[in-house]
Amino acid sequence: MRTSYSGMYPRPTKHGLLRNDDVAPTRPADRRGALLAGLAAPRFTLAHESVVIRMQGNSDGSHVWFDPIGLRIEPGQAIRWLNLDPGNSHTATAYHPKYFERPQRIPEGAEPWDSGYLLPDESFFVTLRLEGVYDFYCAPHEHAGMVGRIIVGQPGRSPGDSVSARPASGEPIPEIALRAFPSVDDIMRRGVVRPT
Amino acid sequence: MRIAVATFALIAAGSLPALAADQVGKAPPTGAYKKVSELVKLPDFLPGLGQLYVDPKTLPAGPFLAYDREGRLVSTVYMLPVEDLSNKDKRFDDLAAPGGDVDHVDVYFNAGHPGVEKPHAHIVLWHVPKADEARVAAK
Repeated sequence: MRTSYSGMYPRPTKHGLLRNDDVAPTRPADRRGALLAGLAAPRFTLAHESVVIRMQGNSDGSHVWFDPIGLRIEPGQAIRWLNLDPGNSHTATAYHPKYFERPQRIPEGAEPWDSGYLLPDESFFVTLRLEGVYDFYCAPHEHAGMVGRIIVGQPGRSPGDSVSARPASGEPIPEIALRAFPSVDDIMRRGVVRPT
Repeated sequence: MRIAVATFALIAAGSLPALAADQVGKAPPTGAYKKVSELVKLPDFLPGLGQLYVDPKTLPAGPFLAYDREGRLVSTVYMLPVEDLSNKDKRFDDLAAPGGDVDHVDVYFNAGHPGVEKPHAHIVLWHVPKADEARVAAK
């Protein structure tokens, strides 16, 4: 896929992205996640090609978050979610009716993903190829506002413009999660949006 | 003789709570308790809490029994969803408290985890002094 960045936003650079070598070396658990994810259809690439989204929490579990919470990548780039929270399990789950009948907040035609529960130091890979905005959440912590947003290439229509927070069936997105998404403009301008 | 039997019965009745505590004093506790990490995908040892056991029928409230790395009971934990605590029609009555003497109590917010996914309060009845909370601290 050839990607144009001639729009209103500058082309993303690797500078500022969290690279895989920022974190602990790949462990056997990584391969398990990739294998399971491969069965679920998204395409996966080698760990060294990925950018990392950390799953984190404070010591008493009162606060949990993705870091970064907003990220701009190029089509075909791999994302690695890594659980660095020693006291909790987390998931990276795309907003899509295929998983738990949630509203679709990824581009039409894109394959949704669900990592399943990741224990500390486990990780999960997905490669995103279709341009657009991808919203995801942590299944046990959506009600605590643990969500994130990835923009692949150009954003197209924002999820907020085109979809409802309320699915045809299933549970609507809680208000605390809706408030937590960084704006598309902010992600396009900064490339990486860290939690505040 | 009758007096002796009655006396023995009274002594036995008086020691029942102690016996109950003895059944949970060391991991694994007896009865219907199951290791939480075998019920849901959570780390076996949670920094700050320890190794947890719960009777699945009592979820989400518990009690959860928390043990240190040597299998000694350190606390009893209740997990009460915030939305239930703000619901005037919801009550948590007669929660079991099998752990014996309580030294002090901590109450704090938790964002959720497998097993109790919604934000909830942890109510921790410590059976050990404050200084011994280190027995379940992160390594």
